[in-house]
Amino acid sequence: MRPGIAGMGWVTPLGRGVEEVWNRLVRGDEATAQIISGNEGTKSYQAFLVPGDALKNLPLHPRLRRASAISRFAAAAGLDAIAQAKSMNLNIDPERLGLVFAVSNGGVTYTKRFYHGIVESGAQSASPLLFPETVFNAPASHLAAILGVNGASYTVVGDGSVGILGIKMASELLETGAVDYCLVVAAEEADWVLCDAYHKWRLTKSSPPIEPFFDPPHGTILSEGAGAVLLGAEGNVKVVSINTGGNFSHQRNAPEVVERILRDLHDQTADIVASANGTFVDLAERDAIRKQAPDSLVYSPKPALGESVGAGALWQVIIAAQALASKRLPPVLHSDGRAGLRFSTGAEEAGSAAIVSSCGLNQQAAGLRLSI
Amino acid sequence: MSSFNGLDVTNDKTRVAVVAAGMVSPLGFGLEDTLLSLRKATDCVTPVSRFDVTHCRCKTAAQISDERLLGRRKTGRKKARLHRASHMMIAALAELFEDDADFQPEVTIIGTTSGGMSYGEDYYRALQRHENLRRSPEWIANYPPQKPVLDAQNEFGISAPCFVIANACASGTNAIGRAFECVRSGKYDRVLTGGYDAISELVFVGFDSLQAATPEKCRPFDRDRTGMVLGEGAAVLALENFDIALQRRATILGEIVGYGISTDNHHLTQPDPSGTGPKRAMEQALKSAGCAPDQVDYINAHGTATLFNDAAEGKAIAELFGDVPVSSTKSMIGHSLGAAGAIEAVICLLALQSQFLPPNINFRAPDPNVALNIVANESRDAKVDIALSNSFGFGGTNASVLIQKVAA
Repeated sequence: MRPGIAGMGWVTPLGRGVEEVWNRLVRGDEATAQIISGNEGTKSYQAFLVPGDALKNLPLHPRLRRASAISRFAAAAGLDAIAQAKSMNLNIDPERLGLVFAVSNGGVTYTKRFYHGIVESGAQSASPLLFPETVFNAPASHLAAILGVNGASYTVVGDGSVGILGIKMASELLETGAVDYCLVVAAEEADWVLCDAYHKWRLTKSSPPIEPFFDPPHGTILSEGAGAVLLGAEGNVKVVSINTGGNFSHQRNAPEVVERILRDLHDQTADIVASANGTFVDLAERDAIRKQAPDSLVYSPKPALGESVGAGALWQVIIAAQALASKRLPPVLHSDGRAGLRFSTGAEEAGSAAIVSSCGLNQQAAGLRLSI
Repeated sequence: MSSFNGLDVTNDKTRVAVVAAGMVSPLGFGLEDTLLSLRKATDCVTPVSRFDVTHCRCKTAAQISDERLLGRRKTGRKKARLHRASHMMIAALAELFEDDADFQPEVTIIGTTSGGMSYGEDYYRALQRHENLRRSPEWIANYPPQKPVLDAQNEFGISAPCFVIANACASGTNAIGRAFECVRSGKYDRVLTGGYDAISELVFVGFDSLQAATPEKCRPFDRDRTGMVLGEGAAVLALENFDIALQRRATILGEIVGYGISTDNHHLTQPDPSGTGPKRAMEQALKSAGCAPDQVDYINAHGTATLFNDAAEGKAIAELFGDVPVSSTKSMIGHSLGAAGAIEAVICLLALQSQFLPPNINFRAPDPNVALNIVANESRDAKVDIALSNSFGFGGTNASVLIQKVAA
């Protein structure tokens, strides 16, 4: 069985809604970075944040009353994907709906606040309201409660490629007949402490733009938001093949893993939606594409949307699905013309298949191929 | 082919063998140590030594000695940077490969709740206090939940894709359940699964803040229970297509025959008092195994000793199974969160192999509202052919796996 994409939802720094964000990407828009300051240090960072009005029509559900930003992003994207499927008269029975939530850093803001209380004032001041929101599966729990899912719900944690792993798990749940539909949601929230950590990890740069495929890499900028993909039997865009990839113990081994994935997924007509983000990932993907898919049209959304880590791969999947449906890719922004790749300018006609290549920042890589 | 316990496995689904296992927990390093400690009903709960608990209501946990854990590690700067959780996973995996060196997984599915949390604490504390942040890149790189799994895989030259399930305290059982489904579907022949978690201040204080942790002894299902204690550890299981395992003459420790998962939307941290969530997971596990409730000989309960969990779980067990023997081994080793389901699955394997019921220690008086047949305070010999292991977690995730003995 090749699962189809029956609905999608998207919450990004460029706004909310698949059509809205897609149109802005196609126009060549890029998100505006905002300055994040923290109480923990004097240094400030820039990150791409979800605009405040993006969540204005989120349902008034008791579970979201105290929920963190990541839970709200996940709920908004998940509910939009279900709404899109329902608008096509699909009958989504919560009893037969599975949920897979993919995440990397999780509810950092509440985790930080909770631990800050312990560090500053001692254990006796720790908030019992915050603690439950720090667990990785809190967003999935809230979304399951809103949707009435009472069966399979899994939270999968990994690096930037975790969204692909989530789609793999969902596909297998569909294949075994455990569910009729499976909603895959990936989300992340940006916080000063994350910006500081990735800065100390020497992966970020101080200000935009993100310039993909430069050698040496210039650094990335973090972002936040969520993506949701509802998988089922319906949908014109099909998930044809998934490669859950492998692990690289050193950054220098990443090209080999990415190349293996591309070799497995490649089809001459496929365009590539890459995860290049201004880090070592770019060189891994550049070398792999040069060897395995030198003629493919290449697009990376990260200069426009930022590096949303756990949500990143699902954003790429949404872009790939939109590219197949609309026969075009957005233009790559700020790329290095000397990279030897065929970058999308926005003018080319997209192919009938698209590969999502996702190389994470912490040792995992995966990919998938969609077709229409 | 029907299995010897008479379960209805005449369908075309692939049978799933457990061909090797490894475990490190406060009960000991390895299955042999663990069995001895279970038989002796060892209480592994001691005063917390890893961080300051002066202002906590609970001051105890079941902890793994660093001397023994880190004493095992090979020298080298890279190894020295690894999180304790990585060392736990490496120790557990080492035992698994001692049992079956030929096992090469196609995929790895591991449960955890908090990954390398204590490294996140080190980083934040240093940041907050303007201390030396020289080690911050190593703290940050080793903090993510997939890292201990990848470290353990690297140690043994495994490059299988790695799924880390973080379904709170049900993570370990969910991981085993998913791994079971992968092999059972016929898509995979060999899957490495299990769970891990290392104790951390944030999680300890978190449970304390909820008043879910007890200042007294941990007494699951007791009338006077007052809450849980935390634990830590790692356990891994090698799952393989049963027929392939037989063909290569692998030692088969047991067979996983059923798995159930449900989501209880009552509350983020509290189960529906009716017990419907746990009951649905157990019913599904029975259904997927083609097993009747009266065929189950032993239940290793989630049994955290909190008022709410034990009431809901006890009600569900009593309604479904009547007086089947039940114990919560968390009374001995505390609640090791993402590792708990994996550790308890291995304990079930030991019960099946050694034909005994692991004890529920610190038990004084039955709860009049929970009619269960508790294996109170001492292990006892018994005929155990089929065992059920339960794990339930924050977020309302409930998971159950059924494991059966395999004829010698």
